[in-house]
Amino acid sequence: MPRSKVKLAYISNDSARRTTFRKRESGLIKKAEEITTLCGVEACAILYSSYSPEPNVWPSPLDAQRVISRFRNMAPPEQNKKMADQQSFTRQRLEKTTEKVTKLGTENQHNEMTQVMYQCLSGRLGFECLSIGDLYYLSGLVSQNLRVIDRRLEFFQRHHSG
Amino acid sequence: MARKNKGRQRIEMTRMSKESNLLVTFSKRRSGLFKKASELCTLCGAEIAIVVFSPGKKAFSFGHPSVGAIVDRFLSRTPPPPRGGSRASNRRDQPLPLPPPPPNPNSAVQLLEAHRNAAVRELSNQLTEAMNQLEAEKKRGEGINKMRRESKERCWWDGPIDGLGLGQLEQLKVAMEDLKRNVGKQAERVRVVEEEGLKVPTASFYAGGTSSFVGSGSGAGGVGVDGGGDVKVSDGLGLSMTPHGYALGYGCGFF
Repeated sequence: MPRSKVKLAYISNDSARRTTFRKRESGLIKKAEEITTLCGVEACAILYSSYSPEPNVWPSPLDAQRVISRFRNMAPPEQNKKMADQQSFTRQRLEKTTEKVTKLGTENQHNEMTQVMYQCLSGRLGFECLSIGDLYYLSGLVSQNLRVIDRRLEFFQRHHSG
Repeated sequence: MARKNKGRQRIEMTRMSKESNLLVTFSKRRSGLFKKASELCTLCGAEIAIVVFSPGKKAFSFGHPSVGAIVDRFLSRTPPPPRGGSRASNRRDQPLPLPPPPPNPNSAVQLLEAHRNAAVRELSNQLTEAMNQLEAEKKRGEGINKMRRESKERCWWDGPIDGLGLGQLEQLKVAMEDLKRNVGKQAERVRVVEEEGLKVPTASFYAGGTSSFVGSGSGAGGVGVDGGGDVKVSDGLGLSMTPHGYALGYGCGFF
């Protein structure tokens, strides 16, 4: 889905910021509704902004107070265990994202080098373009494939000699 | 369902029937909810608190500047008058809107806050950068996977080893061993060249970045093959002996 990239920084343009706020605020409320309905759980959201002196409270001030009471009646360690603020949450997101980048990068490297290997096999690619790192990787990849081939050949031998 | 997952599909807004799905859904959606809240705070300067209880009765909360600050601020609002109360108690039509707390005159607290805000800004920038990198890798992956699919369709030697017959297997083994030897020779050549301080190929797949090999069209490197395009080898395979050709001998898709 083609999405415009969003930079995670305060929107300085006033009208753009207001528009974004309205959209995202209603989107957030919608998501809160969905999670409580789908999972049968309790939740509340309190939103303060410069666009209204009163906070936007979901589901309603009374219901929110009930949820907060339930929350505050828990022992402080229980309250704090899964509590996040911008710093901790953003750091968490950053960790998860860089992990994904590394994982995907490794996967892509493997698939790309596999492609290189098969192209070299068929003579469609020469070695001149490969760096020393690529060459080492390729060598390892070929060795790995040879091991698989040998195992498979063993299987054939066992079958035929039986 | 033909789909792998229910994402981008309409799902019915009623309590999920399968307990296992419910727990997974909660976990993902809670995370998504907090992400949306966090972004709303960063993008628009909102101050938010969210409290949500899990199916396992655990309390998850997110708040900016903190859950406590927002909750306290909310609770200290004048409560609305009781419905149908006597005229005497209905002195106000609405609860008095409480203005946001004034900036703390204590300079130490101010400094701490400024510090925290700067840290959040820095983390947000790093996160944006990381998300861009992820997008780039995903795009790279799409290109690579497309090439792999095409290659597997065209060439019998590309694909699961288990799918090959004995003759093919032996042929492939010979070609691979040959390839390994030649890669080793080239590596030696490059090593020698490097030691003598001469120019070395700069295109690299190893660094894991966007590479010209995928046919993105940019970047250095004398790759002579357009990854997605078709190199017309008439009988398919290395029978036209390029310097590093390996005669596998069979036409593409013959088997």
